[in-house]
Amino acid sequence: MLKRDHQLVLPTQARAPGFRVELRGTTFCLIATGAWTVAEVVKLDTALKRLRVPIPPTPEFTGVMDIAGIAEIDTAGAWLLQRTAAAWEKGGLRTRYAGATESFRVLIEEVQRKGNAEQPKLEKRDPGRQLIEDATKALIGVWRDAVQLTAFLGEVTAGIGRMARQPSRFRATSFVHHLDHAGLRAVPITSLICMLIGAVVMQQGVVQLKLFGAESFAVNMVAILALREVGILLTAIMVAGRSGSAITAEIGSMKMREEIDAMRTLGIDPMDTLVLPRILALVVALPLLTVIGDIMGLIGGGLMANSYLGLDASTYIDKLHDTVKFRDFMAGMIKAPFAALIIGLVGCLEGLKVEGSAESLGTHVTSAVVKAIFLVIILDAIFAMFISAVWG
Amino acid sequence: MTVDSGREVLIRVRGLAKSFSGYQIWDGLSLDVYRGEILAIVGGSGQGKSVLLRVITGLVKPEAGEIELFGRNVKTLSAKDRLDIESRWGILFQDGALFSSLTVLQNIQVPMREHLDLPQAMMDDLAFLKLTMVGLPPEAAHKFPSELSGGMRKRAGLARALALDPEIVFLDEPTAGLDPIGASDFDHLIRKLQQTLGLTVYMVTHDLDTIFTVCDRVAVLAEKRIVRTGSPSELQRHPNHPWIKEYFCGERARAAMPATRAQAANG
Repeated sequence: MLKRDHQLVLPTQARAPGFRVELRGTTFCLIATGAWTVAEVVKLDTALKRLRVPIPPTPEFTGVMDIAGIAEIDTAGAWLLQRTAAAWEKGGLRTRYAGATESFRVLIEEVQRKGNAEQPKLEKRDPGRQLIEDATKALIGVWRDAVQLTAFLGEVTAGIGRMARQPSRFRATSFVHHLDHAGLRAVPITSLICMLIGAVVMQQGVVQLKLFGAESFAVNMVAILALREVGILLTAIMVAGRSGSAITAEIGSMKMREEIDAMRTLGIDPMDTLVLPRILALVVALPLLTVIGDIMGLIGGGLMANSYLGLDASTYIDKLHDTVKFRDFMAGMIKAPFAALIIGLVGCLEGLKVEGSAESLGTHVTSAVVKAIFLVIILDAIFAMFISAVWG
Repeated sequence: MTVDSGREVLIRVRGLAKSFSGYQIWDGLSLDVYRGEILAIVGGSGQGKSVLLRVITGLVKPEAGEIELFGRNVKTLSAKDRLDIESRWGILFQDGALFSSLTVLQNIQVPMREHLDLPQAMMDDLAFLKLTMVGLPPEAAHKFPSELSGGMRKRAGLARALALDPEIVFLDEPTAGLDPIGASDFDHLIRKLQQTLGLTVYMVTHDLDTIFTVCDRVAVLAEKRIVRTGSPSELQRHPNHPWIKEYFCGERARAAMPATRAQAANG
């Protein structure tokens, strides 16, 4: 904001900006007064827009923006004056400024120079067309993800092959560290969740099956369900949320800070040091967690069986012996290493896709978890169909 | 408003103290910022130059000391007065600190939306005017911050800082991370905008070129306080302090100094 006189503090009523147009001889004068600053001058916007452009009867008529009465001005005020002056010029009236101080003149000239640039219009897109475009993009994205994941699976397999031939490539410390983080530290939360779901399924099973007088079969249902589906699925989803996101965040932030590029230039293969220890640790940890999850699911079911059906522990275990076969347990377990592989692959791949910004890291962590859970469920569905076809 | 030796004081800082995790960074720091000047704050790393900016703008609370903004003590300000003062300054953070979910034009309009009630068409026009005034190309208007280069982000950040035609702008390392040509352009832009808009500029900087080309006055932060203030050439001629001597009479300073430049051009 520029002031005509810095010592002068304007009283409130004198701050109100105003203007009037007068004809003096052959000159149309726009006489502006008050404070032409952004907070005040907004009141004049409409009035200035509505102001009719004076039509010069003969060419010797000129226009003047008389701003001698303006005490304060800023860019907004200068711009409004300039908009009016430009409209007058366009109407065929040569217009100049009068009564400007040196500093006012500098500002007005700057606004004159810069105010002429054409503002680019934001193109509005047809929503129907946009829908089709977005859908196509999404489909292409899915296809690209599938290709990338397959290629990455190939790279990891090749990496494991190299490691098998040269066992010195195996990073034992890193492997143990990730085994601890993804495995041991996930035990409490996985156990708790599996136990709670086991209990809930048993309770609901008893209540619903009671309608048919078949409540004792609830134990069969929970046993089969826990071992075949619930144990592995819940554990895998937990691990995808816990460790899959951690993997993407760790590798992604290293990628963001160019640490991975630095490793490559130092002759260290990120596949050996970052990717394989994590994937191998998951492949070992997830089956172990699944065993614990299965047991906790059965225990949770047992607690509910005790309170709803009055079964004591030994009767419950006997019933389990009668209904569950070893292959039910295996039907769940066989899925664990594959689920682990998926979680590890997706986590590492998304981490490596991170680019320079923090937003990119956030997006990839989210998409790692979503993709891993989605793929684990798809895998589970395929295995469920396959196993029931083969083993019954 | 306080007038000191004939010049109006916009910011007056007295006896500021602040420590971080037991380490005292200032003890009894005092500083005046006069209307219409370009003031540079210099000092070694860890002297709290950027923290001082954050304390003055109210982002960090000091442990002791008085701060007067536009003649008002900040401790006694009501929320409404505080808001009023906030519309009288603009701040350019190091990397622009633009809102990533908004386009450049929308970013510039944020202060207008928050503080004023303007019609959308007027905001569009004013924001676009600010955008051209800081030297951004018209195409940048509808781009998102992530699509801009570092230098363009700084310019856009400056346009946002200028959105309400503030009386004072704070610049945190305005030329850091710019190439020498970009940095020199930015220096000239600051000088030009200062003259056009009658701004007072408070900047934190390391850049000797910036100091010698655009700054009227330099305040040196050392030994937990402002040890000296003066024009760049004054400090260079009479350093009177080991750090100032090293900073203003070192090899880099001689290269940036206008006199040596003139000699180099002639010889």
